[in-house]
Amino acid sequence: MDAKVVVVTGGARGIGRATALRFSEEGYIPVILDRDAEAGAAAASLLEAKRVEGRFIQADLTDKAEVAAAFERILSACGRIDILVNLAGGTFHKGAIQDVTPAQWKECVDLNLKTTFLCSQAAIAPMKQAGRGVIVNTASNFGVTGGAERTHYAAAKAAIIAFSKSLATELAPHGIRVNTIAPGLTGTDRVRGKYDADEWAKLSGGLPMGRAATPEEIADGIFFLATDESDYVTGATLHVNGGMVMP
Amino acid sequence: MRRLEGRTAIVTGSGQGIGEAIAMAMAEEGASVVVAELREDTAVAVRHKIEEAGGIALAHATDVSREDSVDAMVKACLDRFGKVDILVNNAGIYPTSTVEDMAEEEWERVIGTNLFGTFLCSRAVTPYMLRQRRRRGRIISITSGRGLQGADNGAHYAASKGGIIGFTKSLALELAPAGIAVNCICPGVSDTAQPRGHRTEEELYASAARIPLGRIGQPRDMAKAAVFLASDRGRFVTGQTVVVNGGAIMQ
Repeated sequence: MDAKVVVVTGGARGIGRATALRFSEEGYIPVILDRDAEAGAAAASLLEAKRVEGRFIQADLTDKAEVAAAFERILSACGRIDILVNLAGGTFHKGAIQDVTPAQWKECVDLNLKTTFLCSQAAIAPMKQAGRGVIVNTASNFGVTGGAERTHYAAAKAAIIAFSKSLATELAPHGIRVNTIAPGLTGTDRVRGKYDADEWAKLSGGLPMGRAATPEEIADGIFFLATDESDYVTGATLHVNGGMVMP
Repeated sequence: MRRLEGRTAIVTGSGQGIGEAIAMAMAEEGASVVVAELREDTAVAVRHKIEEAGGIALAHATDVSREDSVDAMVKACLDRFGKVDILVNNAGIYPTSTVEDMAEEEWERVIGTNLFGTFLCSRAVTPYMLRQRRRRGRIISITSGRGLQGADNGAHYAASKGGIIGFTKSLALELAPAGIAVNCICPGVSDTAQPRGHRTEEELYASAARIPLGRIGQPRDMAKAAVFLASDRGRFVTGQTVVVNGGAIMQ
């Protein structure tokens, strides 16, 4: 019962799945929250294959009641929440500003920013009670540089950076650290699926290190921010992008 | 499995404080360490500490602001260990003065040690890192919150530390194709000799009240970040400034 519990939102795929696996390998108990039941169950079965207790809860994380119910289930099953990694989110649809519908804008901002707010809020009480905890939120290089045809996504990610700094200051007196991971171009299935092989080779080959990040490399940065390796780090943003953006 | 097994690390200014903690931590993680330090006696003392803890170290009296001294240090490293995987540019000085009263000699000394020294050491190790087949070269330089926000009574120090950030980003771009990662660590107020040069003991600890995590930094905090950046898990982090300051400055 000594193993730490880490909640990974958006853990069904990509960086989230790699992060859940990394924590699992290191002896933590990951709990995956994701809206995708099939992929979530598949990711959880990978955790179990590593003989570490893995769990998956299907939830729409933009819905406050569903978030509350999911965190209650985790607390009643595990008795603690040590780490929250907010990875749910993504770009979903690109488009010039005049083509972004208010519904698309809201969907993008909700899936990235509101999920981060709601899940952070739900994790605070058990962390305060324990007198310690870590929240890692996910921004993006676009949250610093902006990006054409990504106004909604860039706005949401920049907002997450400012939200994290504010929350870091609020929670520091309670021994809770809040940091942000900012991945650059990362070779997840979802991102790779948007490009054909030539486009991908050109895009990733043009980066300073000549390639995109792997999901595991982003998970390594998250693991650093979430564990005692970084216990004097809060309110920080760690960019893991092979030199793509150096703010 | 130790995280830096079989690697060779040069840590400048490692006779005390943050440099010493980084040297000790890297040795603990399996690296052979060159304790490059201006004062020979403190260099040897840290070498002894590392050896007593079961690690491997070489002490070398080094003035990072002098090319011949840096070259001799790197040569000593290669003669003893045959390679260099990690360079930590930590040597630095922080005298205080207003710009109006700043002597040119003092300006030269601060820029010469902090910024030019970082350049000289980085330049000296780069050919050997490029020659390695395995992509694990790392250059880590210690900057400062003063480099981000400026320093009252320390424009030379702030300039040198800001300069290190610009240098790091540029070198990161240059060396990225070879898989060499170049980063900064940015400490805040730390429990070392340096801030005691211009603060009383009381003032030093009182500064914790302005730090969100409620304490000043310990050298060990910076050492943990340095080990992360130097290890395999830090391989895709480059051109970045990792801020380890309890939330004092958030960037």
